[in-house]
Amino acid sequence: MSSNFVYVTYIRTTPEKLWDALTKPEFTKQYWFGFHQDCEWTKGSSWKLVSGDGMVADTGEVLEIDPPSRLVLKWRNEFRPELKADGYTRCTFAVERLGELVKLTITHEADDAHKMIAAVSQGWPQILSSLKSLLETGHALPRPDTLPKG
Amino acid sequence: MSTSKFVYVTYIRTTPEKLFDALRNPEFTRQFWSETWQDCEWKKGSPWKLMIPDGRIGDTGEVLEFDAPRRFAVSWQNEFKPEMKAEGPSRATFELEPMGDTVKLTVTHEMDRENSKLIEGVSGGWPPLLASLKSLLETGDALEMTKKWPEGV
Repeated sequence: MSSNFVYVTYIRTTPEKLWDALTKPEFTKQYWFGFHQDCEWTKGSSWKLVSGDGMVADTGEVLEIDPPSRLVLKWRNEFRPELKADGYTRCTFAVERLGELVKLTITHEADDAHKMIAAVSQGWPQILSSLKSLLETGHALPRPDTLPKG
Repeated sequence: MSTSKFVYVTYIRTTPEKLFDALRNPEFTRQFWSETWQDCEWKKGSPWKLMIPDGRIGDTGEVLEFDAPRRFAVSWQNEFKPEMKAEGPSRATFELEPMGDTVKLTVTHEMDRENSKLIEGVSGGWPPLLASLKSLLETGDALEMTKKWPEGV
C-alpha cells in the first residue's frame, strides 16, 4: 500500500525567491531546524540533508529539477534505523506563480507503507510555516526545543 | 465507521488570544476568509452560520465545544451546494497550542462518510484561507486571493 503526505501553502513571494529559499543553505539553515542540503542541484546529483552539527540525516539524489518550478528528490533517512530500513521515499516540490503569490505543494510519498511518511507529516508543517514567515517577514519562526520525530 | 477527514497544521507568530479572536471576529474573517463572517454567540450549543457577503447562508451548524482560547468545534452543514447539503453535517475542530512566541493551529474537518464531497471541497479551501490568516497576523495584510468572495460561486 502506498503512503503519502501532501502539504499546500501560499506565500507572498516570487517563484525565484522561493526556489532560492528551498535550495540555498543560508536560507534553509534559518527555517529548517538548522539543516542545509549538500547538493549540486543537477539531475542525478547526490543529495544530503545535513544538520547544524554536521550529522548526515538523510541522503538521496535529484530525480528531476526544473528551476524555479519543480524539484523531485529520492530521499532516505540515515539516522533512525527503523526509518532507514523502510528504504527510499520520494519528495516533490511544485512551485506555481499565482499573481502576487506562489503556491507551494510538497508531496512526500512512498510506494509501500513507510514509517518515514508519518514522521515527515509532523515536520513539514513546522518547516514550511517557518519558510513562509521568513519570506514574508524576513524572520523565520523560532526553532522548537526538540526536533520533531524524523 | 468509514470517514472522510482533512487535517491542516500551521504555526503562526502570534498569541492564542489573538488567533482565537481572528478565527471568529468578522473584522478579521472578512479579510482572510473571502469576505465571509460567522453569525454566532460562541457558547456551547449556540447556532452557528457562515454568512456569504451577498447575504446567502453558506453553512449552518452549532457550537459543539468552546474553550477559549484553546479549542472550539462546530457542526457544519453546507447550505448552498445541493450535493454537499445532502451529505448532512460535518465537524470542524480548531485547536490552538502555544509554543514559545508562536501558536500551533490544527484544523480538522471530518465527516462520518466515505468520499465526502464537502470534505473534498474544504480540503482545497482551508490551505489558502489558513495561509492568508497567517499572513494577516504576521504582516497585517491578508493574501489578495482570499480578500474577495469568488465570482459566480
